[in-house]
Amino acid sequence: MKFHDESQNLRLRLRIIQVVVFALLAVLGVRLYFLQVVNGAYYAERAENQRVRLLPIPAQRGTIFDRNGRILVDSRPIYNVILSREEMQGKDFSTLVAPLSEGLFIDPELLRDRFNELKSQPAFESIIIKQNATMSDIQWVEARQGFDHPELRIEQQPQRRYPENGVLAHVLGYVAEVNPKQLEREEYKVKGLKPGDIIGQEGLEATYDNYLRGRDGYRKVIVDSRGRIQDEIEKVSPQPGQDIVTTIDLDLQETAEEQLRNSPSGRGVIISVDPRNGEILVMASAPTFDPNLFSQRIATKAGRAEYAALIKDPRRPLYNRAIRGRYPPGSTWKIPMAVAGLEQGAITTEHSGLVCGGGITVGNKFTRCMGHHGTPELRTAIKHSCDGYFYRLGLKMKLEGIMQMVESFDLNKRTGVDLPHELISWTPSREFKKKFQPKAADWGDIDTVFASFGQVYENMTPLSMLRTIAGISVGGQLYVPHLLREVHAIPAIGEPGKFDYRPEREARTFVPLDASRPNPKVVPISPEHHRMVVEGMWQVVNQPGGTGGAMQMAGFDVAGKTGTAQVVSLGKDTGENKDHSWFVAYAPAYKPEIASIALIENVGFGGKFAAPATKAVYEVYYRKTRPDAAPQDVAEIKPPKSQVGHQ
Amino acid sequence: MVAILEKGRFRDFDWLLTLLATGIVFFGTWQIHNAQPLENYWKKQLIGLAISLVALFAVAFTDYRKLVHFAPAFYLFGLVLLVLVLIPGIGLRINGQQCWIRMPVVGQFQPSEFVKIPTVLMLAYYYGKQRGNALGWMEIAVGVGILALPAGLILLEPDAGQVITYVPLLAVVLFLSSVRMWVVLASLALSVVLIPAAYVVGVKTGKIKNYQQQRIQAIIDPEKADRKGYGYQTYQSILSVGKGGVAGTGGGSTEYSQSRLKFLPEPHSDFIFAVTAERTGFVGSILLLVAYAVLLSRLLMGARRAPDRAGMLVIMAIVGGLAFQIFINVGMALGLLPVIGVPLPMMSAGLSSVLATFIAIGFAVSVQLRRFVN
Repeated sequence: MKFHDESQNLRLRLRIIQVVVFALLAVLGVRLYFLQVVNGAYYAERAENQRVRLLPIPAQRGTIFDRNGRILVDSRPIYNVILSREEMQGKDFSTLVAPLSEGLFIDPELLRDRFNELKSQPAFESIIIKQNATMSDIQWVEARQGFDHPELRIEQQPQRRYPENGVLAHVLGYVAEVNPKQLEREEYKVKGLKPGDIIGQEGLEATYDNYLRGRDGYRKVIVDSRGRIQDEIEKVSPQPGQDIVTTIDLDLQETAEEQLRNSPSGRGVIISVDPRNGEILVMASAPTFDPNLFSQRIATKAGRAEYAALIKDPRRPLYNRAIRGRYPPGSTWKIPMAVAGLEQGAITTEHSGLVCGGGITVGNKFTRCMGHHGTPELRTAIKHSCDGYFYRLGLKMKLEGIMQMVESFDLNKRTGVDLPHELISWTPSREFKKKFQPKAADWGDIDTVFASFGQVYENMTPLSMLRTIAGISVGGQLYVPHLLREVHAIPAIGEPGKFDYRPEREARTFVPLDASRPNPKVVPISPEHHRMVVEGMWQVVNQPGGTGGAMQMAGFDVAGKTGTAQVVSLGKDTGENKDHSWFVAYAPAYKPEIASIALIENVGFGGKFAAPATKAVYEVYYRKTRPDAAPQDVAEIKPPKSQVGHQ
Repeated sequence: MVAILEKGRFRDFDWLLTLLATGIVFFGTWQIHNAQPLENYWKKQLIGLAISLVALFAVAFTDYRKLVHFAPAFYLFGLVLLVLVLIPGIGLRINGQQCWIRMPVVGQFQPSEFVKIPTVLMLAYYYGKQRGNALGWMEIAVGVGILALPAGLILLEPDAGQVITYVPLLAVVLFLSSVRMWVVLASLALSVVLIPAAYVVGVKTGKIKNYQQQRIQAIIDPEKADRKGYGYQTYQSILSVGKGGVAGTGGGSTEYSQSRLKFLPEPHSDFIFAVTAERTGFVGSILLLVAYAVLLSRLLMGARRAPDRAGMLVIMAIVGGLAFQIFINVGMALGLLPVIGVPLPMMSAGLSSVLATFIAIGFAVSVQLRRFVN
């Protein structure tokens, strides 16, 4: 100390200040050590997370074509308002309900539901707040992104566009967001789906979702504190989904749907297949619905009301009658009965005559035939649809014979069609009767009579019935009916071995989902037996007195069989409770290319409604496949010679 | 100026102190460039350094005793400046605060930064006489008054952060002017009790504003801070510091740094330490703290060698002011203290702060130059 002033220990006081100063600096040093050396990696990661963002690039979903390359479903780009999770950390969703519902015109209830759904999902990345955003929505979001709503952003996404009149709706199905329950299931987990992903939920969209769905790409970007993109550091291009060519012929499909729409009840099914390979040319189920509801409008109030109305509609428009409707087959049942009767030896080609008798008395109960046919042989019995004949045939075959027939034609199994939710038909058996009539559980001869004409113990899905008819038409080869013709290949994206590599996705054709079942299943039918049944069916359409005369076409040999399925007991069959009208057919009769089944609900006699509807489809088919044929050609009566047996 | 050429003066001049201060400013300029390479803050800082060095030499070669002698005049001039800044039209209103005066050549300057010097001189003037006994209450009251006048005017701007940096000036001077030890201990004990109590009362009566509460909450749990709130700045500063790790983000591009992406607010001024820590890591940050420690030690040594009490008090007030400001600013950047808008001496961009610090260092050098006189 230069100046001599030792009052109050000045030297000590200077020392104290020095110690305090160094102590303060030391505190800072220790804190620095903890922040940078001990926890440096943690903070570096947090800083990384707040500036790096993954923005998905949604992949285009594959287009679905008809067999002639006409587009059935494609996608077009729309804009969605997205809420991103990173920006929502620690924030209360409920504070967003009011501003978002006002600014973007969203129903606050829906928004609240949506946020509640999210609470049960711990790891969502981003969710769609509003689909199909308008220009004003986009402007609203962009004006607020940097300020009061950094959690919002606009994203482009391809949206599915279905034919608006509902053409083929049941076959195509629809896409929708994967729902939380699905995400918990293993088969969805393995697909690597996350909330908000769009997947096929019904129809072909669901069956072939793995092919149709593309692999989303992403952009890894650097954002500033207001979420504005500064730079892109990584990009993985999306790989589009594979295009699918179906077996459907759109011209035939539209014709069939028109026929159903214009029928008296407006309810029914028409299916056509190529019996030579099982390709489904037509699958129409009426009434139909607009699948765009699910891909575009389901998140709106109006969309939900529309859905509720569809669910409540007693005509059940959502359900695909071809694979989920179960109807008594009526007299179309007589075709497999005839084949099985011959094959099992209950009748022979030489001795196929059985008494009609105007009906039959079993015990004290008389079951009548619609006419008096004497003692017809098989062809005549088919032509006139003689019930009395088939009662007696059934009694000769016994229940066991009928069950054996069911078994050999796979009538008690799914057809294996490539659509979800196919139902199994009900077929006659002792067990079935026990369930059906617990009070009179024993099987008697009268039950065998009933089981012979397709009215009581059979409830068939139209598709399983058609598979049998089509199989019989080609001499006993039952193909798996299917809708997929071809999946197109998609080339690889990126370079092999690199992070953005997506391997090529290969082309394929239809393979039955159940590989253990033979395709086709071969049911032995001797050529003579086959010819006899075909002749009977040919006469139904082409000979005077046949029940299917309405189907007769100039130049095209159609074989067919009518069916009229009682809905209620005779006498009450009027109005809403009229009989179902059936018609099965194939053509050309001796070298079939197309086999069909038509069912129109509650309209009455099969020959009057279902046969003309089938004819309309066949006329279009004929014109398409035989453009050179002069329409005035009169059908020659074909010699009864089978060309099918050796096919 | 002839004095510079005198051999003795040249030899006795504290080159280490001057070089250290200049070095820190250069280091700071690099960080300002890192923080805002597209703005010209770093260029302005270099111009400010040149001006400040001239001022440092001018003050150093002036006899500090003459300056202390005229302290009342400087003090009065300082008060006038603080009044002027409050007059609309002269003072510039920025973010609700009126603390800047627009000047023709220099641009803006902040009187509250400079008035620290006349305040220190005034305190040295009043307490600088030879002492025989402990301070009386009356003397303490006068000292409080000397501080209260500028502090009160600054509160009117209002700039509470700047007022806080005035407190240690008086505290150090009183402590060294033989205030009784029990008074020191009693006031320490009292502040431990009163500060939290005042906070609670302030919150209840609404005197402490919501944003001020948020800043304090952010210290307790920075990760929960609302990103639009004030606590967010603390959180982002901690992230920036932590991200630097041991060696920093290195010499490459600063393009994705916390400041460039605007996560870190005021990166060139209040949060310059966070920028430094992100860029140079633990190594660079500790080196900076060591540089400050060496600079403060050098000043402390000068204080011990001071020829008279007034000189010692001037240097020690400067030590107290600098140390306190460094602790407040770095403590804020490290999330130890709430956000207070106080620049980091010699690092933060801003002519006023650098110039005021260099003038203060000039005083310290001047005191040392005259250590053999007397």
